[in-house]
Amino acid sequence: MSEEFVRVIAAEEIAPGGMKAVELAGNELVVCNCGGVYYAVQRRCGHMNAPLELGTLDGTYLTCPMHCAQFDVSNGEALSGPVPSDLGREALPPMLGAYMQNIGMLMAHVRTESMRAYRTRLVAGWVEIAL
Amino acid sequence: MNTESRKRALQHFFEKVVGPLGFKFTPDVELKEFLLEQEVALETKHGIPFCPCQPLRHDRARDMKMVCPCIPFHRQHFDAIKRCWCGLFVHKDVLDPNTLPQLTPKDVGLE
Repeated sequence: MSEEFVRVIAAEEIAPGGMKAVELAGNELVVCNCGGVYYAVQRRCGHMNAPLELGTLDGTYLTCPMHCAQFDVSNGEALSGPVPSDLGREALPPMLGAYMQNIGMLMAHVRTESMRAYRTRLVAGWVEIAL
Repeated sequence: MNTESRKRALQHFFEKVVGPLGFKFTPDVELKEFLLEQEVALETKHGIPFCPCQPLRHDRARDMKMVCPCIPFHRQHFDAIKRCWCGLFVHKDVLDPNTLPQLTPKDVGLE
């Protein structure tokens, strides 16, 4: 299958270790600059759809800003699920407690899926991506 | 999720923490791989890569002091024995980790 690369963003717009969200033919993507090597993955976290460009990038490891699930942007692989949070020892107000209990019950069934990774290339200072 | 991929990611993140503290991964590769595998299993179960060699007490304040790498919470003890409790990390000058005994805080006069 032939792939058509599309010019998406100037490489200099993303600092090393940085990320930027782009939209390409209706697809939301995050372009990552991993020390001069550019990768692109789907923008939405494979756990609960948080926008990943608001997270952190360390090497090729991206940490989601919402629950700290981690992914490898070089291939989109999910590496870990959400990190459990601590709401403290004080009891929540009854309404909020019931709400959080319901959310917790639902979240227990949410899986962290690997993300789609897109082929990228660098041409004349531009990052090109194949959908 | 793939255990090997997660082990490499944990190694990447841990090196950045333990290096400035004067520690490195044990040169015993078999032990390193085994302990990292156990941490991945604990992380899969609990969401947190706890030290595989210490019991969970289900007391968050105490258990969080066993999140790998737990060196900052036991610095005096681990500096005295030149290794962390399970031996995943050793002082940077250690070449043969098998020469380092697993001594308790009491053994080295810290309790």
